[in-house]
Order: sequence, then structure tokens, then C-alpha cells
Amino acid sequence: MKKKLSVGKILAQIFLVIWLVVCLFPLYWMFTMSLKDTNEIFGGNVVGLPTQWLWSNYASAWGSGGKVSTYLLNSVIDTFATLLLTSTFGFMSAYGLLRMRWKGQKVVFTYLLMGMMIPMHAALYPLTEILLTLTKTNWALIIPYTAFNIPITVLILSGFMSNIPYEMEEAACIDGSGIYRTAFTIILPMMVPALITAAIFVFLQVWNELLLATLFTTTPVRTLTVGIQQMSGQYQTDYGSMGAGLVIATLPTLVLYMCMSGQVQKSLVAGAVKG
Amino acid sequence: MKRVLSNKWSIAVFVLPTVLFFTYIVIVPIFKTLYYSLLNEIQAKVGDQSHFVGLENYIKMFTVGRRNTFPGAVVNSLLYAALSIFVQLPFSMFIALLLAGGVKGESAYRNTFFVPVVISSVVVSLLWQRIYKGMLPQAFEALNWTIPKNGFLGNKDTKIWFSFLPSLWQYVGYHMLLMYGALKSIPQDVLEAAKVDGAAGAKLAFRIQIPMIKPMLKVCLSFSLIGSFKLFDTPWILLERSNMDLPALSMYVEMFSNHKYSYASAQAMFIVVECLVFTVILNWLFREQKEGGKELKRG
Repeated sequence: MKKKLSVGKILAQIFLVIWLVVCLFPLYWMFTMSLKDTNEIFGGNVVGLPTQWLWSNYASAWGSGGKVSTYLLNSVIDTFATLLLTSTFGFMSAYGLLRMRWKGQKVVFTYLLMGMMIPMHAALYPLTEILLTLTKTNWALIIPYTAFNIPITVLILSGFMSNIPYEMEEAACIDGSGIYRTAFTIILPMMVPALITAAIFVFLQVWNELLLATLFTTTPVRTLTVGIQQMSGQYQTDYGSMGAGLVIATLPTLVLYMCMSGQVQKSLVAGAVKG
Repeated sequence: MKRVLSNKWSIAVFVLPTVLFFTYIVIVPIFKTLYYSLLNEIQAKVGDQSHFVGLENYIKMFTVGRRNTFPGAVVNSLLYAALSIFVQLPFSMFIALLLAGGVKGESAYRNTFFVPVVISSVVVSLLWQRIYKGMLPQAFEALNWTIPKNGFLGNKDTKIWFSFLPSLWQYVGYHMLLMYGALKSIPQDVLEAAKVDGAAGAKLAFRIQIPMIKPMLKVCLSFSLIGSFKLFDTPWILLERSNMDLPALSMYVEMFSNHKYSYASAQAMFIVVECLVFTVILNWLFREQKEGGKELKRG
């Protein structure tokens, strides 16, 4: 009995290790590709370690060949502006919808959450009409990213907010604190974990978004996803610097994940369970 | 107290900006899309009202003809959904069960399997593109296997399958994590009781564990289905630019390359309706099961 069990365990470990390799292989492939020259990538050394570690690929992706530095800056601006706005909008509306008492609050809450069921595709063409004049600015993406991520932010915040006892408001009220002070100095600090959960989810959505970014950006405000995808489409692609671009685009999310994997997993689970 | 919490002014300050902004950017455009989908091409282009063609665009969408690629695109998205549901989900479930059952290195495996999920689908697609064009042909040659004619992404009959693979691969970790979390929240005494009754391995999984995480399976299923209708990034990067092999791609090309705004709007509306219909179906399916579960508990 015991022996049979351990055979099963060994098989399980073998299977898991194989899948582990399958999960990590593309990353290994990406890092090695970013250090090879095009000949190596196409020729004899597709899979192996680079014969010469060409860090110059990074320099050329960053500056001359590609414009990854610009793409990165734009992705950072768009993402952080979106996060700031979704957090503000999300917190304020969640507060008004969950903590305050008024007729119709349930209806408005449902109305906002409905937005999650609607794919962005459905709004594309009318959105171009609104955003076309903004495509030379980062707003062309910040605006739709914020709007489409408000529902999920409100949902994640609301679950947390309804668990805060109403005595908080009562006590604050007795102490003579106004509603805004109560919301922003008493409730907001308690909401930080939920805000982080929502922010990580939105961060990954926005950082990795392609469809809107393709449509609504012009060269000076290109984000990483579009920029890199265009690098690969160029007639004579320099695959080494493309690899470097991929690494630069992936590093922020990977670092975030490595630093707080538990938190990232929690966020994505919270974002998925929106049924 | 009550007066403070019911102050109309403060409620408006808290809620109104979000609602207005959300309405203007998300809700109004959807109704506009619906409206455009009922116009004929010229009207939609110049923004002239007055000429409705009713459901003509929708009928055109599903008129089977040699030049109409949309029905094929829908079939492809259903193929992806089927692959996701019948291959990806069971595979993820298998991993989740292994991990939740307690193996050595449980959390290390879990954390690593989740890595592909946080990477941009653009990066994933570009990496797989190099794998299809660089690594796999070499490997196939070395093994003396036949490579599909025109390569993995150029063959008319097989390219769609290869374009599905990257996102199927990428999201195994997501489903695995969702299922793993649900499995871990099954009370320990239930599992103990089942084990005392002689349930182990597959029996334990199929009789106890999987039925108990049905709510999470619903989440995974709707994620798979809706994801398959919206699938865009991976096939757009992997296949040639003008391809219309999936609904979202078809809509994109009709809209922004062919400038058939009203026809493309009809396709967009179809994607929305498809998502809603499948959500309703899933809710209905799983509501039945919940009632069944209650009865079981009572018995």
C-alpha cells in the first residue's frame, strides 16, 4: 500500500515538473533571445544559451532601433493615471452607494456592475468618435481604461466596504466630523487593502491591453503592447532587440508578481469571481 | 446621523461623477453601436439619421455564402470554447486536485504555474510566434516529422488551432488557481469523513471535491466562454493581419480596414448578445444544480 502510494507521488512530481518547464520555457526563451543576434535566433542556436551575451540589444531597443523607452514611459503614465482615477472614482462611488442611504442605490449599483458583462468590443466605433481628437495624448487611453475598469473596482471595494461596521460613521458623526472627512480620513484608510487588490487587477488589465491601444494611440503616445507588436511587424525585424523589448515590457509585471505573488493571485481571483 | 448619510448633495458628489462618466464612455457607445447596426452603410458613415434598414445587417451576417466569413468565425470561436472547456479546464482541474491534495512543493508549483497569467498576451503571442517559426520546425526536422505545409501559422486548415494554443496554455494557471482556491476551502472534516468511507483518488475527486466546487466551475466556464467570444490579441498577432477567423477579428477588420461601420456594428452587437446569452444559460444551468445540492444536504 505504502509503496504504491509513493509511486503515485513520484508520477505526480514528474508531471508537475514537466508542466513547470512548459510554463517557464517561454520566459527562458525570451531572456536568451534578448541576448542573441538575429543569425543565432534563426540559425544553429535557437534554444541554447547565447554564445555571446549581447546586452547591446537592450541599448538598441531602448533608444535607436526601437523606441521602447517612449513606450515604457507611456505605459507607465497611462497605467498610473488610470489607477489613480479608478481608485478615486471607485472609492467615492462605492462609498456613496454602500454607506449612504438613499432610494435607488441598489439600482445604480447594479447599473455600474452591469458594465462588467459588456465587452469593450461593443463600444469601439462610437469610442473612436469621442476619442479621435485625443489620440495624440495619453488621455485617449486613460479615459476608456478608467471607464471600463470602474465596475470591477466598485465590485471589489464594495465587498470590503460592507464589512466595515456602521458604528464608524456614527462615532465620527457624534464627534462632529462631516461626511467627507469621515469618508476620506476614517473609511479610506481602512480600505487600503481592498484598494490594492483592485489596483493590481486593473494594473494587469491596463498594462497588457492591446485592442484599444492599437486604435487610439499615435506614435508619440504608443504603449508597450502596441509598440512591441509593431517592432515584430517591421520588414527587417531585429529579433534580438525585439526580445529585449519583450523583456522590458514583461519585467514590471514579473517583478510585481515575484514581490507579492500572494497578493497578485488574490487580486486576479477577486477579479474573476465577478459572475 | 441619518440626515448626514442621506444628504442629497453629498450623495451626488460621491456618486454622480462616476455614473455620468461611466454612462458617457461605456453605456452610450453601446447604444450607439446598436443604432449604427440598424442603419445602412452610407448613413452610418456620414452620421445621417432617417434611413433604417432594420435587421438587414444581421441577416447579411448569417447569410451563408462564399464571401461571408462571419459564420465560420463564430464556429471557430465555439471550437475555441470547446477546447477550453473540454481540454483546458479538465487539465487545470487535474493540476488543482494534485496540488490541493498536498504534494511536496505545493505553493512553489502553484506560484510558478500562475506566471504566464501575469504576462501580457502580446508578449506571449510574440514568443509563441518565434516558437512556431523558429524552434518547432527545427525540432520537427530533427525528429523527421512532417511540418504542416506553409508552416504552422500559414496552413489554411491548421493555423487556427495553432493560434489557439498560446492562450489555452497561458490561462491554465488562472483556472488552476481558481479551482485550487475552491478546493482548499472544502472543510477538512468533509474530506476526512469521505476518506473514512473509503473514497480516495478519482472517486474522492468526482464524488466529493468536484461537486463541491460547482460555483467556482461556473466562474471558470463563463471565463472560458466569454473569453472565447472576445478572443483577439493572440490570433491577431499570430495570423496574418487581414484575417477574419474569429468574431472579434472579423468585426475589427470590417470596421477599421473595410470601413463597413454598420455591418461591423452588427457583428459587435452579436458578440455582446452572445456573451449575455451564454451568461444567462450558465446561470440557469447552475441554479438547477444548487437546488439539487440543497436537497442532498437535507437528505
